[in-house]
Amino acid sequence: MNDLWTNRLSEYIDGDLDNEERVALEAHLAACGSCYATLAELRQVVARAQSLKDSSPPTDLWPDIRARLTPGRRPGVERARRFSFSVPQLLAASIVLALLSAGGMWIGLRSTKPTVTANQNVTSPPPDYTLAYASRWRTSTDAAVTELEEALTRNQGQLDTATVRVLRQNLAVIDRAIAQAQRALKRDPGSNYLNLHLANTMRQKIELLRRANALAAGQS
Amino acid sequence: MQLILAALAAVTLALPQRDDIHQGKGRGQGQGQGVGDTTFSVQNGARLDVNNFGGEIVVKTWNQNSVQVHSSHSSRSQVNVSGSGSTVLVRTEGRRGPPSIVDLDITVPTWMGMTLSGTYTDISVEGAGGSVTAESVQGDIAVTGGTGNVALKSVEGGVTLAKTRGRIEVNSVQGDISIEDASGDITVETVNGDITLARIDAANVEVNTVDGDVLYDGSIKPGGSYRLATHDGDVTVVIPPGASLSASVSTFDGDFDASFAMDTVRAGKHRFTFALGRGGNTARLELETFSGNIKLRRPGEVGLESRKHKNSGRGHNDRDNDNEQYNYNYDYHYKYHYRYAGN
Repeated sequence: MNDLWTNRLSEYIDGDLDNEERVALEAHLAACGSCYATLAELRQVVARAQSLKDSSPPTDLWPDIRARLTPGRRPGVERARRFSFSVPQLLAASIVLALLSAGGMWIGLRSTKPTVTANQNVTSPPPDYTLAYASRWRTSTDAAVTELEEALTRNQGQLDTATVRVLRQNLAVIDRAIAQAQRALKRDPGSNYLNLHLANTMRQKIELLRRANALAAGQS
Repeated sequence: MQLILAALAAVTLALPQRDDIHQGKGRGQGQGQGVGDTTFSVQNGARLDVNNFGGEIVVKTWNQNSVQVHSSHSSRSQVNVSGSGSTVLVRTEGRRGPPSIVDLDITVPTWMGMTLSGTYTDISVEGAGGSVTAESVQGDIAVTGGTGNVALKSVEGGVTLAKTRGRIEVNSVQGDISIEDASGDITVETVNGDITLARIDAANVEVNTVDGDVLYDGSIKPGGSYRLATHDGDVTVVIPPGASLSASVSTFDGDFDASFAMDTVRAGKHRFTFALGRGGNTARLELETFSGNIKLRRPGEVGLESRKHKNSGRGHNDRDNDNEQYNYNYDYHYKYHYRYAGN
């Protein structure tokens, strides 16, 4: 964790990097697990900070002190806590998060799939376990896909139009496959195969989105 | 520094060329066309790193501990050859703006590992004996040889790989992938394209496509793991006689058939399992297609027949790497119909 980007992560979270720096950092995050981990920790800190309530010091002195620190403000007037960052464009973070999420689902479901043995003894996990796992995973993955798609929409201008067209066409291919798998799952929600298949197809979509964004970042 | 490249810190193959730079030779031609040539010695362990924005990267090998770089390009582009640590760097750049088309013909020692990349770039490697990493956005990739880590990626373009051993990872988005005469662990993925693996000697194989057929013709090793999956396409696997395996077959809307009898078949709703051979350290085979057929064949039942790729990437730089594709023509004796839709 000693590269030049480490100290820029806070600015990144706050949205203070210019576009060129942001794209470069996102490209770096896609390859640097250390920086990504640091970014995740920073985000947690920010999230905790956002959840804190403003509270006045337990003395009556504070209103006056604050009034002196901020001329023009009347003592006793509370102001909502303001954070300087906007919603960060956490492309790379979402990439890794999504991959971890998709990978987790993939591994998790695969580990729960029936075991094939030579004597054909097949064991299956309780259906509820798989379904609950699948449901949780889908929610987080959908959010990750949304972030990645938004990032691609923002960044695709960096790519050749022909490349964008190919990427979009193939995302559509995957979307069709996902839709078909989802329809099948509605008819048979307990199917391990269909859950696995949907997870794998979602993983492929995330991989493609991730790659598309990395390409865009690399060509800026 | 392993390379004898000190004097080659920035050998420019653009016009005019410098002659006899260290052990290199360069020459240039005017009149809007540029040709550069340089040859220099490298020591064992050196690596080649090439980036060419558009055009071709053709790498061949020889039994000399030297690298020869030949470039062909317009006067608007230049090629820089430099050394960084134990890496030989070859870069193309435009004199004003991005470089135009540059064709690079590079000859390297057989043992030399390489990283090759480009945007509008076809990449071809013949006879590599070291690791190979190749990545292009719009362009085909064809590699013969390679050991250790072999990683090939293209967005729009076919990928062919042959005579390789090691840890093989091939990825495309729109394009067929063909791997032949390869051994090692293999991971292959594309979105829109067929995947063909022929004459494979591997214990771990993972293959994924969304829209395309999958063919695996290779070893089924004891304790091995083979997973072949597509969403919309057929999965065909050639099972060597005597192979001992337990298999899981999944399809939502497709048929399963085999050209030979199987020990057991156990039907499920979207999935069934079967075993072949005797127990012990069996291989695990997972075959999946959402909408397609799953076929098991014996060696020789899947004939080679040339056919054009349906997704061969750009047409203008197709170098006919797409021959030797399999055609699924065979007679089979045992057919198992499992049409699961609506069950």
